[in-house]
Amino acid sequence: MRAERRFNVSGVGLFAALLLLWEIYSRAAGIQDYLPPPSAALKALVEPSVARALLGHLAGTLGRFAGGYFLAAALAVGAGVVLGYSRFAYSVSEVIIELLRPMPSVAIIPVAILCLGIGDAMMIAVTVYAAAWPILLNTIDGVRNLDRTLIDTGRTFGLGRLKILWQVALPAAAPYIATGLRVSLPIALILVTTSEMVAGADGLGYFILDEERSLRPANMYAGIVVVALLGYALNRLFLLVEARALAWKRGLQTRGEA
Amino acid sequence: MKTSKINGVLALAAVLAAWETIARAGLVNPLLFPAMSRILGSFAALLASGEIPGQVARSMERAAAGYFLAAAVCIPLGVAMGLSGRVSRALEVVVETLRPIPPPVVIPVAMLFLGIGDWMKIFVIFFSCAWPILLNTIDGVRNIDRLLVDTARTFGLARGKTILKVVLPAAAPQIMTGLRISLSITLILVVISEMIGSTDGIGYFILNAQRRLKVDQMYAGMIALALLGYFLNQAFLVISKRLLHGR
Repeated sequence: MRAERRFNVSGVGLFAALLLLWEIYSRAAGIQDYLPPPSAALKALVEPSVARALLGHLAGTLGRFAGGYFLAAALAVGAGVVLGYSRFAYSVSEVIIELLRPMPSVAIIPVAILCLGIGDAMMIAVTVYAAAWPILLNTIDGVRNLDRTLIDTGRTFGLGRLKILWQVALPAAAPYIATGLRVSLPIALILVTTSEMVAGADGLGYFILDEERSLRPANMYAGIVVVALLGYALNRLFLLVEARALAWKRGLQTRGEA
Repeated sequence: MKTSKINGVLALAAVLAAWETIARAGLVNPLLFPAMSRILGSFAALLASGEIPGQVARSMERAAAGYFLAAAVCIPLGVAMGLSGRVSRALEVVVETLRPIPPPVVIPVAMLFLGIGDWMKIFVIFFSCAWPILLNTIDGVRNIDRLLVDTARTFGLARGKTILKVVLPAAAPQIMTGLRISLSITLILVVISEMIGSTDGIGYFILNAQRRLKVDQMYAGMIALALLGYFLNQAFLVISKRLLHGR
């Protein structure tokens, strides 16, 4: 990591050179059915009909992503605080957690199709399932590792059990929870696009696979550019929100260390 | 330790028994949730007939090829990017552009170029495994104590030897972290790519069983997948412990 933010000449240069090479090769070799030049993908991206379609699919993907991600966060943080706080609750659910965890989360898609049919409910359910794991495990860890003095202090001041969970355990575990949320972000996007590919009727995953099958590779690449931008923007947004939300914590820690 | 293991076995038995009773009592649709005994029965039958071992073997071939290819490319690349500011600056933009692409989205591109054969899956696994290995190697190499490298130089070690004997061992724990993250990603991507474009493999088997409404076989396939994930992870832990202790 470099402190100064100079313009990265060699980096941008290499990127541009690769794009140029691609453009020339694709035009010269006459394989535009497979590998359209990047300019064709860009042209597709700004063409009104494609752009309008992409915007619609983007809205669908974003909606399912948000639904799945936030639902996963709410459920997993809630369950994680309880499981991290109560040994009993953890020992009861440990086996289920340990059984399900090693299974690649996408294997749940067929079960979800069976139970919920094809549609938004199934895609959101799958996303919730996959995105919940990192959040749950990190929340459990965070609550377990919190300073017992904090809880004892809370108890001394006469806080009830619920209030201790909500006002002491949850904020103290916040950095761990943030880590879980960050890990889950790309996972949620992976699951949304995958389920759109396997059983979707709209959304960017569906669009990209459909354009490939219809042999319109320029549109397919345009779709990939949009997904990449979406992934990038979501990550940036997350870091921004995280820095805001945890600012108080950082101040507290530096004061403690000083 | 021992009591917790006994507790675990008891709890597992309780879960299985609960599933069995609920399914037998007809509280849930038997089409969606067949009795556990039926699922385990069909798991045993598929195991004995060689169906599941065969499908798992196909998946594992692809997974291993993509995974080791990613390691073989990304560890040297990560070392180069970690050691040389010039190399890392040159590649930075390309890496940062490709990295936010969700890996399943690469499947259609791979299908266009490589069809729906093994190479398509290997490429997709390679693409998704590459990032954790690359970024962890870069980080591991960058965080090495400069004193180590300088000492090696003082003792007149050549550049190649310094990398092999000093840099790689010092960065090994973090490289292992990258390899471990990639292991679970490999399994996810092999299943996804087999669901979207394949005619065999455990991912295809599970989705196909669902489509043919052989629900007990679908669950049997999921059990196989969970066991596979568990054993791969355990094997990785054993191997990495050996490797990191041996240095």
